[in-house]
Amino acid sequence: MYSFSQGIQVDSINPVKLEQVFVTATRTNRFISTLPLPVHIISKRDIEQANSVRLNDILNEQTGLITVNDYGGGEGIQMQGLDSQYTLILVDGMPLVGRLAGTLDIKRLTTANIKKIEVVKGASSSLYGSDAMGGVINIITENPEKGFNVKLNYRLETFSTEDMSAVLNYKKAKFGWRAFLNKYSSNGFDLNPKTELKTVDPFVNYTFNLKTEYAFSKQSNFYLSLKYFNQNQDYNASAILRGESSINEWSSNLKFTREFNVKLSAYFEFYATVFKTDNYLINSENGTFFDSNYFDQQLIRPELRVQYKFNEVNELIGGIGYSHESLDRTNFSVQPEFNAPYVYLQYDSNLTNDINMIIGARFDSHNKYRSQFSPKAAVRYSLNKKWSLKGSVGYGFKAPDFRQLFFDFTNSTVGYTVLGFNVANSALAQLQSQGEIATLIISPSDLKNTLSPENSISTNIGVDYKLSPKLNFKVNFFRNNINDLIDTRVIANKTNGQNVFSYYNVNKVYTSGFEIDGKWKPLNQLKITGGYQLLFAKDKEAEAAFEKGDVYARKDPVSPAFQLKKEDYFGLFNRSRHMVNLKLYYMLPKWKAFANVRLTYRSKYGLLDSNGNNYLDVYDDFVEAYSILDFSINKTFYTNYSLNIGIDNLFNFTDPQNISNIPGRIIYAKLNINL
Amino acid sequence: MKTMKTIQFIILIALFTGFSSCSNDDDEPLVAVESQTITNLQAQQAGGQGQPISGAFAKFDFLTGQTTESDSDWDIAFRGTSIIVNGGTSLGTIDEPERTGEGAAYIASGTMASVMEVTQDLFVQDSDTGYAITTGSGNGWYSYSGAPTYLITPIPGKILVFKTRDGRYAKVEILSYYENAPSEPNAFTDTSRVYTFNYVYQPNFGITTF
Repeated sequence: MYSFSQGIQVDSINPVKLEQVFVTATRTNRFISTLPLPVHIISKRDIEQANSVRLNDILNEQTGLITVNDYGGGEGIQMQGLDSQYTLILVDGMPLVGRLAGTLDIKRLTTANIKKIEVVKGASSSLYGSDAMGGVINIITENPEKGFNVKLNYRLETFSTEDMSAVLNYKKAKFGWRAFLNKYSSNGFDLNPKTELKTVDPFVNYTFNLKTEYAFSKQSNFYLSLKYFNQNQDYNASAILRGESSINEWSSNLKFTREFNVKLSAYFEFYATVFKTDNYLINSENGTFFDSNYFDQQLIRPELRVQYKFNEVNELIGGIGYSHESLDRTNFSVQPEFNAPYVYLQYDSNLTNDINMIIGARFDSHNKYRSQFSPKAAVRYSLNKKWSLKGSVGYGFKAPDFRQLFFDFTNSTVGYTVLGFNVANSALAQLQSQGEIATLIISPSDLKNTLSPENSISTNIGVDYKLSPKLNFKVNFFRNNINDLIDTRVIANKTNGQNVFSYYNVNKVYTSGFEIDGKWKPLNQLKITGGYQLLFAKDKEAEAAFEKGDVYARKDPVSPAFQLKKEDYFGLFNRSRHMVNLKLYYMLPKWKAFANVRLTYRSKYGLLDSNGNNYLDVYDDFVEAYSILDFSINKTFYTNYSLNIGIDNLFNFTDPQNISNIPGRIIYAKLNINL
Repeated sequence: MKTMKTIQFIILIALFTGFSSCSNDDDEPLVAVESQTITNLQAQQAGGQGQPISGAFAKFDFLTGQTTESDSDWDIAFRGTSIIVNGGTSLGTIDEPERTGEGAAYIASGTMASVMEVTQDLFVQDSDTGYAITTGSGNGWYSYSGAPTYLITPIPGKILVFKTRDGRYAKVEILSYYENAPSEPNAFTDTSRVYTFNYVYQPNFGITTF
């Protein structure tokens, strides 16, 4: 199968390393060494060595990935300079829902149950449909393993944060199951003690996962995974307005596998998930109810997938599915439903021993927006045993979300209104009949068409170099050209002096740059890994405006304006030009211990336009560059026990004004027991 | 008598036009262009935040370079973020003054130094559908940051070009919307609706450059 013989030859020099299998790029078990796409695996060992607790901890240490805080409090991932809304997050191949304001909060996920994390960079809508514009992150959790075993761990850290997990596992012959329970709680922290509110309020959450497997025969398999997540957190809007917010998430994933013969296999999957939040505020002075809101999203998705192997080197995979999604939430005048059947096909072939090629496409039909056709092609060419080249081009899209189509919200204290595209006309007519509209800025016919999905063409070209198992590196150049980016605009002025906003397709944006990843083992006990990403993320219209000389700035807010030059345009908000990670692992065999030091660096970035020209230029205020150093020692004793001690953010970096998700120095200790 | 007077008048007119047309050729000095900075012009309003806006506009007269209470001898006027001209018709908001002159305005892109000539075609008067200086964040002279800073910032590179009530011209660059034009304004602690602006006034009739 494939040209992994080459991979085995190389690996045989170092028998410790086994060939890694990658699922996300092709939806089949595929050896990573011959994939023509920019992919990355984060192994269980990586997660354990970094002593990560939540998903954001480990992703933040990866080349080209950064978690970015959002006003709603969520922490989303930025990949290849694309916002978290444009990265698809999967758990065991199934999409997570619950993007409250576009951001999917990845703090929701514990790392305790993760077997590995697969990252595919570049648009991948050809397999996964909507949201896979920047790429796909697939979190693969542990499956039942042979025998009976129990695992327990407990971790205590600064801010009374506690993390504990228990695993109960059994597998024999045909039947296996695995139960996982995690509790994570914290007193939260306060970066700004002068203010009445804490930066992060106290919370407690639980994750429960039960997986069962049954093999009817060697050819057919049954698998069921049930997951439940619950979080309760204090929710305070002021010293007086206090309440609670809760999240409840259920998911079930059912899978039948059937191998008809060596060539043909089929998979049927049925996935259902519910994500609910409830928030309320009470006036604590007089005990009266102040406000509440809720969010209730559901997704049901059956999919049938067929894999056909023509021979060792040619394989076809095809799938057909139906996605049904609904949302009930405050500030929606309707309860919208999305129905989207889809079909995809992908062909994976080794044209010669040195050339691997993948071509594929997916078609998504939809009841609320234009159907999407997403092709992708990728080629990898091995020049010799050391060098290989790979290139891929793909189409990615992100469907307008429920909010962009159906939001109907009027701010009760300030008085502005935000309307989703599909309800804008009727809601506007209603506001007009109530005499609340002073002037219409756009004509109602501008709202007659449908909002187009945001879409991109993504290109990746990379070089892999493998001198030996001790020294290798890879470089990947990327470019994402994004069209029809959805933004808000004023569609009418209200008689109260405020505006009515709605969504529309406007911007053309690009992100481009390159990333380098390297690994070096100068000694048997010492491993050094490092990564760097250079990023340019810019709005094409903004670039044109700077070029034309239409943009001005002031050095001081009250000094006269002057004209800006082309090179004064910095780019999109919240993007750093440079990101670096450097990790040093040292093994102490005598002590049965590992020590590691990990450094991440992020160069300056802008959060807002501070000089009033609506663009981020070099004269704006920037969030200063920072680096974070983590240190830890993991020691094993009596085979079944291990103790981890460490300090995250050793130099206690904080930026209370701009970065609310970095709490400062954290000291922790963790005990693991495997029985 | 009547014809005498008419003849005298015609001669006077002829003499005057002859004289004035000569004056240009003879380098008769024009009145100098005035460049001034106005600080802390109060433009308070009542209402807003969902309620109807009211309160007297702060009227400004380029000729004197000062604010005025006059019903007719004003060129531009301020209330909150709204700027009106003494020309056209009222939008009809509460306490909005009647227009008595031939004022008009447009917003040019550039710096005070680069906007050197008036473009007549661009002038617009206030009307019952909107002001010549358009309102709203990003639409006119300012942008509003929203959360978390809630700042009103004059957009750099927006020069307001005015035709005064009597047909002369002025250009204005607004520098600050906060009292004492702080270099790091804070919407929570600094008093807003207080203008600081630079202007250049061309006091000579018919001259379209500054």
